[in-house]
Amino acid sequence: MNLSAPNRDIVLRALLLVLVYLVLAWWVPNFRTPSGLAALLDAAVLTGLVAIGVGLTMIAGEMDLSVGSMAAIAGVLAIQFISAGVPLLPALLAVVLTAAIVGAIQGLLIHLLNINSLIFTIGTLIGFRGLALMLAHESTQTLPIDKLSIADSVSGHFGVLSPLSVTLVLAFLAVGFFASRTVWGREIYAIGGGRTEARSAGVSLRRPLVIAFSCSAGMAALGGALLSIRSGGATPLGYNSVLLDAVAACLIGGIALRGGRGGLAGIFVGLLTLRVVVSGVASLGAPFWAQTLASGLLLILVITGESISRTIMRRRHWHRTATAQG
Amino acid sequence: MESARPPGDRVRVIRYAAALVTLAATLIVAGFTTPAFVTYDNFLAIVRAASITGIVAVGMSFVTISGNFFALSAGQMAAFLGILFAVATVAGLGVPAAILLTIATAILAGILQGMVINVIGNPIITTIAFGAVFGGLAAFMSGNTLIRVHDDAALAALRFGTARPLGIPTQSWAFFALALLSWFAIRTTRVGRLITLSGASPAAAAASGLPVGLSSVIAMVIFSCGPAIVAIFSVAQFSLAKADQFSGLDIDAIASVLVGGVALRGGQGSPVQAALGALLIAVLQNFMLLRGLTAGERMTIVGLVVVIAVAGFHLAQGRRR
Repeated sequence: MNLSAPNRDIVLRALLLVLVYLVLAWWVPNFRTPSGLAALLDAAVLTGLVAIGVGLTMIAGEMDLSVGSMAAIAGVLAIQFISAGVPLLPALLAVVLTAAIVGAIQGLLIHLLNINSLIFTIGTLIGFRGLALMLAHESTQTLPIDKLSIADSVSGHFGVLSPLSVTLVLAFLAVGFFASRTVWGREIYAIGGGRTEARSAGVSLRRPLVIAFSCSAGMAALGGALLSIRSGGATPLGYNSVLLDAVAACLIGGIALRGGRGGLAGIFVGLLTLRVVVSGVASLGAPFWAQTLASGLLLILVITGESISRTIMRRRHWHRTATAQG
Repeated sequence: MESARPPGDRVRVIRYAAALVTLAATLIVAGFTTPAFVTYDNFLAIVRAASITGIVAVGMSFVTISGNFFALSAGQMAAFLGILFAVATVAGLGVPAAILLTIATAILAGILQGMVINVIGNPIITTIAFGAVFGGLAAFMSGNTLIRVHDDAALAALRFGTARPLGIPTQSWAFFALALLSWFAIRTTRVGRLITLSGASPAAAAASGLPVGLSSVIAMVIFSCGPAIVAIFSVAQFSLAKADQFSGLDIDAIASVLVGGVALRGGQGSPVQAALGALLIAVLQNFMLLRGLTAGERMTIVGLVVVIAVAGFHLAQGRRR
């Protein structure tokens, strides 16, 4: 096979996905049906949308920890807008745009202060959660009965696809195109892969940081809003564990912790791998806590395994060049 | 040490002063505007809240000083260890043995997390993942129900959870003792210097032959003892443990470290700053609670205080990462 390194990487990850799927499909009959696959994709929508945004910030060599709180705010706002009589699409647009602007401001502040994004976003993680509680008046927001048809319109299926899974796939395609084919997208890779080199080559940090954080807030908001509308209600304390799942999807999909490496196709493969394992564990009859345990363990296994194999590869490469020279 | 003051000293004075002035200002405002604030009962409430957060924050400051930012697994670890302690006590292991088991498990958890941090190089992701594992284990061990301690002998042995030697809760004595001990450890012991130097510059420390990886492991072990102690005290105080007991602990402890002004670049700061931060957060929370602020308003304000503190200290430091 004559594949470039990034392509070989994604083929390997896709093979892992197929392997995991086959093993679990052996046990779980539901996994072999189209509707089972559709359910798999539907369950991946929230994690997937959040992972797109978090993945972009990770490619930029940063990380947005505030996505869970942002998704909660978006869920509360979306339910409130629709309850107030705003139609579905304008409500979604308003929520996502607001979040994207807040995210852009967050990226701009991180750039202006030149502060570590992990430290800055742990503060906004707390603050946004508080805002979600305030907006919801500390209580769960539910759609009134006459608006429940909107919830149904989101959760319907045509074939194996639902509006939500179509949105997920479209979002992956759009952001994937943006990140790999446009100059602004390549800037995000540049500041993640080699920040010093990128800066001396004249890439400003401002635009990529603003775009990455705006996208991560916007995507988290889209996920939170869609999921809340589908379930007909939003709790301000919800979406607490989405960060773990999103980061897990990114890392399983080959996004490098140091930034600059990996892509949206990889995140999609990582997302599906994670969902197959988690849904597989769930449909084997394990209680809900086993699902968090599974994603936590999977994440630890994948990242340590990858780091160790990378170190071994590097050693072997070094040995080979050393013996070739000697 | 006295003759060669590190260059960050002026900044450290600013950091201490900022935390102290804010604390004093909050105390004065609260004291003058809220009569319920200046009562003995309220004093006890503040001190106890500060102690729980503070014990974790003091341990967390070692992680920060070792250059690993902060850990996001404190709450879930405390829940898991609390359930482990309660289950062991209910099973008739005896309180001293259960305490030993809990601390030993915490040390093991710290070693594991420290080792994974060394392998993958990212403390945040490591502790998020381990947090999920601990949360899962907590739900698994408790069967997601309350674990109550009924046994009279065990309850008698657990009386330290509600005791008040000299009118001050045991939790607070433990907090003061741990803060002093930690300050002493980081300033005067070899391990303390190893952690400080590895945090200040991992490359320089490694080049001088210091075991940098070991410093992360030790820092994570010290950190993990905080949730263990908090969990044991909590079970002793309420005679019960449940899986979702410590949901706000992470945020409060991280906020304490950040507001107290421990430098997030690593290699600077002291556990006393984290303790001061815990006191400040506890006073602020208590004041807001007495003023009738809702949970959302309180959380938003804490988040705002953290962002302002982090940005302010960062600017005072000179904007370097």
